Amino acid sequence: MFIFGVLSIFYRKGFGNLSNNKVKINGVDMELKAEQTVLQLLSDSSIEVPSVCYHPSLGPIETCDTCIVNVNGELVRSCSTIVKPGDVIDTSSKEVKKAQVIGMDRILHKHELYCTVCDYNNGGCEVHNTVKEMKINHQSTPFESKPYQEDNSHPYYRYDPDQCILCGRCVEACQDVQVTETLSIDWERDKPRVIWDNDVPINESSCVSCGHCSTVCPCNAMMEKGMVGEAGFMTAIEKPTLRPMIEIIKGVETGYGSILTVSDVESAMRDAKIKKTKTVCTYCGVGCSFDIWTKGRKILKVEPQVEAPANGISTCVKGKFGWDYVNSEERLTKPLIREGDHFREAEWEEAINLIASKFTEIKEEHGADALSFISSSKCTNEESYLMQKLARGVIGTNNIDNCSRYCQSPATVGLFRTVGYGGDSGSITDIAQAGCVIVIGSNTAESHPVLATRVKRAHKLHGQKLIVADIRRHEMADRSDLFVQPKVGSDLVWLSAVTKYIIDQGWADERFLEEKVNGLEEYIESIQKYTLDYAEEVTGISKEDLMTIAKTIHESDGVCVLWAMGITQHLGGSDSSTAISNLLLITGNYARPGAGSYPLRGHNNVQGASDFGSMPDRFPGYEFVSDPDVRAKYEKTWGVELTDRPGLNNHDMIEAIHAGSLKAMYLKGEEMGLVDSNINHVHAAFEKLDFFVVQDIFLSKTAEFADVVLPAAPSLEKEGTFTNTERRIQRLYQAMEPLGDSKPDWQIIMEVANKLGAGWNYSHPSEIMAEAASLSPLYAGVSYDLLEGYNTLQWPVAPDGTDTPLLFKDRFPFPDGKARLFPVEWTKPLEFDEEYDLHINNGRLLEHFHEGNMTYKSKGIASKTPEVFLEVSPELAEERGLKDGTLVRLTSPYGVAKVKCLITDRVKGKEVYLPLNDSGDGAINLLTSSFADKDTDTPAYKEISAKMEVISYDGDSPLPRINHRNGNPNPQKGVEVERKWARKDYIFPGDLAKVGRKNG
Amino acid sequence: MAKAIKNVVKLELTEEEKRAQDLREIETALLDNKDAILETIDLLKQMNNRGVLTMATSLFAEGDKVLHTIIKALDNPEATNLLKNMLLLVGVLGTINVKQLEPFVVKLNAGVARMSENKEQEKPISYLGFAKTLKDPEVNRAVGLLLDFLRGMGQDTEDLERNTQPPEEQAVQKERTRDYEGTMHKRD
Repeated sequence: MFIFGVLSIFYRKGFGNLSNNKVKINGVDMELKAEQTVLQLLSDSSIEVPSVCYHPSLGPIETCDTCIVNVNGELVRSCSTIVKPGDVIDTSSKEVKKAQVIGMDRILHKHELYCTVCDYNNGGCEVHNTVKEMKINHQSTPFESKPYQEDNSHPYYRYDPDQCILCGRCVEACQDVQVTETLSIDWERDKPRVIWDNDVPINESSCVSCGHCSTVCPCNAMMEKGMVGEAGFMTAIEKPTLRPMIEIIKGVETGYGSILTVSDVESAMRDAKIKKTKTVCTYCGVGCSFDIWTKGRKILKVEPQVEAPANGISTCVKGKFGWDYVNSEERLTKPLIREGDHFREAEWEEAINLIASKFTEIKEEHGADALSFISSSKCTNEESYLMQKLARGVIGTNNIDNCSRYCQSPATVGLFRTVGYGGDSGSITDIAQAGCVIVIGSNTAESHPVLATRVKRAHKLHGQKLIVADIRRHEMADRSDLFVQPKVGSDLVWLSAVTKYIIDQGWADERFLEEKVNGLEEYIESIQKYTLDYAEEVTGISKEDLMTIAKTIHESDGVCVLWAMGITQHLGGSDSSTAISNLLLITGNYARPGAGSYPLRGHNNVQGASDFGSMPDRFPGYEFVSDPDVRAKYEKTWGVELTDRPGLNNHDMIEAIHAGSLKAMYLKGEEMGLVDSNINHVHAAFEKLDFFVVQDIFLSKTAEFADVVLPAAPSLEKEGTFTNTERRIQRLYQAMEPLGDSKPDWQIIMEVANKLGAGWNYSHPSEIMAEAASLSPLYAGVSYDLLEGYNTLQWPVAPDGTDTPLLFKDRFPFPDGKARLFPVEWTKPLEFDEEYDLHINNGRLLEHFHEGNMTYKSKGIASKTPEVFLEVSPELAEERGLKDGTLVRLTSPYGVAKVKCLITDRVKGKEVYLPLNDSGDGAINLLTSSFADKDTDTPAYKEISAKMEVISYDGDSPLPRINHRNGNPNPQKGVEVERKWARKDYIFPGDLAKVGRKNG
Repeated sequence: MAKAIKNVVKLELTEEEKRAQDLREIETALLDNKDAILETIDLLKQMNNRGVLTMATSLFAEGDKVLHTIIKALDNPEATNLLKNMLLLVGVLGTINVKQLEPFVVKLNAGVARMSENKEQEKPISYLGFAKTLKDPEVNRAVGLLLDFLRGMGQDTEDLERNTQPPEEQAVQKERTRDYEGTMHKRD
């Protein structure tokens, strides 16, 4: 007995575990390493199993039935079957093959193989590749056309029901990755097909044109229109010829083998004419990267990659389809020099000489601080570095800034105060895995669309809690578990009240505070006045809601707070950002996965522009210009003497021009004349400049005031790196040559510097990065070699190249390694005279970028969203007799704007919303003031009121019927394959294969 | 005071300047590719001499029409069947084992030669004579050979046919199955 007992324990603890982890595949024992599906295990073991509908980013969809294998005697779909220890798997029996062939045969019944004349014949077609892999030569059920027309209504992609294999990848992507919930498959109709909303043409649906569907489509059913007739050598053949050609190929076929060989040759030939270049999107701070397919200057498509770290297969309309501007006829192709009432095109030499002589003249007469420099958050890190090097090292001034002053500087300050690094605490993956996400003052679904998809998916599928605080009811608000609408500019109050309530309830993370945080007592003292009663009175949020927020934070496994301009663009923007960070510290939501602070950076390189030193008081890596040791380091490398006088930020610059002390400005890639607040005041300043150089790809509003305009090259025409909101440094490669005589910004800056005697000789941006990395500890280990292709680094990067996806794991970057609670006071928002009775909220729209210089150049986008509009609540519309299309004049104390109305319940009462996408009479900054955040000078864009007069009551709606906002989404979980299985004509191929065996 | 302006006066090259610039570009391209260009000129000369150039020009000039005509001509059952048969024949020829066939062909040649030498028989061959002939070693070898051929022809080769079998029954599938098993055995 005793021996038996010992043996059995030994068996269970020792050999037992070993044998438990084993599975048998085709008679061979294999070790089971992790919980995975049969398909994953087989794929890891290099055993190929067809899997047409499976996509690694979508998971099992179970529609195609080609991945059937035998597990423990049963024929099952390998994509959705989890391997259990002891399983016996067979992939090679006749029965398995038969079942797989039945699955594939059903696909070929729905899809016609004419690969050689198909635009999707680029090596990636799953149908083609599976036919080849399975060595299928014939199909038993011939292809049968479906009774539907091709849907070509959408400007950017088309759906061909005849080629659609009903795998449902597009539906999964639309429903559960992008979560716009437009696409579904109508399984119940005689011939099922993909439908949009409740079966309307694509262009009339709620489709947001994100492109997920065409990205994941395994064949040519859902295809980008840029590809159609362009990708293949013989695909541009006219329809009347193409159809008989397909018939001939089908008639001649002696088996698919020979047909596929011809198409493989054709596909290989395409590589010679189609260039695939990895690039990084320039439309927001998410940092989507993807391959862009070009044929000369023609853009065929944007192809996201599974391995892209920030976005994977995801894109939004701008990143997927908004690149037409690079070929716009309005692009600047030569330098322009002001001559009386016009600009004259000039050669580079003349323009650079003029700039050098004017800069020298002004510096000699008024000193270096009479010049100023503005870097661009759309340009690369290397270009930001060179611009500040030009200002500091060549001219000798710290008057250098970038547009994060307009948006995110307050968030950076709030984080510097409390946790020491001005960046997102973790990665987008942390946001996806958080137990609770709180979105404050951010219209994430439109401003950071791809990042928002991660929250929407986690909320829809994985039970993530979503709390939204905003004055406007946007998509995230509609999806949230709790939506609160605080009074304008009152966020600090409710945040502090929730924090106090959490402390009072004993829900603070005592251990975290004890080990990692300083200043607790003083902080608790500072928030005593923020009682729930006080908060309810000031913010309008009920006590119950405040308690619910506190309780949700307390109960959630990891809290991420996402915030944007609704927090920062106020008089107390830095303080509200600080209050967010304080709340996260009190609840221990730092230094762990799935938690932290996420100020969502607005432009592609807002993070990098500041990281690389385009700031008036800091060198690259946020080292202070006032620090003599730091200055000495730069002086040694640059071989110049540097000033310790802090420079002007861009808000100060405007005032200094008005005051007469600032004489010249060199601005690149910023539409300051539209995006700064109170633009009438800004334009007046531009007019006073002695010399103004603007570097841009278009003759922007700002450039209209310039003395010299330099033609720059956009991202697709140059190399460099961007840093996204996750602090992730990513390389972009050159897809095409600069248009005309335009040049990459780094080359232009170098030419200006060298004409001023700098003697720089960078031949590639990698050399600029190497210099920056050698000087700044934050990216000591950054090099282009480590950033090859889709490889990225998240700062800080140690000298050995180790990066930091999650901040603060070991310590906070303060001398004692501890974070600091930072007491803050509420600043009351601006108050306006009674006549200004409407609050003018403002922000982004999904489909346009900023003032629209780039996105309005895309015909497709412009057709769906041709002009800006003023969102007006139904209550206000009724009170004033407003309708869709009513033209109104808004007057604030600072200016006048004219815009058409759109009635919507996204806004309520006397709250209106004016998107910032207009460069004409509807420009929001005609109304805004010069009041700014007290700590950073970030304009208080969100604190503006105006009065409204009707110019004409009747007019066309500014929002066409084909805009996605007029659609009717059809939410469901994924493709609902059970409805396919429930069809009378559906029999599982595994059952058919078994029947065959019995009969045979 | 620099007011906002939008007018741009383009840097217009005179006709002469434009021409000079274009010529410079062409000259550079020619010099960069001297050898290839000379070779090409030679090729073009040869093509022109044989009238190929005119034909090609006409073909490309009317490309869409020509293609359409060809396609229309091919798009009928006879033409597709012809192409199909050609492709199938090519496939079948590929499967013939010439090495094994050679002795047979040599023998066939010898038989034909003997036949041509044979004069018209004066009197018919008798049954006995026929049986006796079988003893002749040459005739005996030939009959044996023919019997082997008939045996081979009667063998089941259905699974080798590509044009009549469902995919899972094709020999290639079976080979693949054997490949799998082979791989697994190697792992053992």
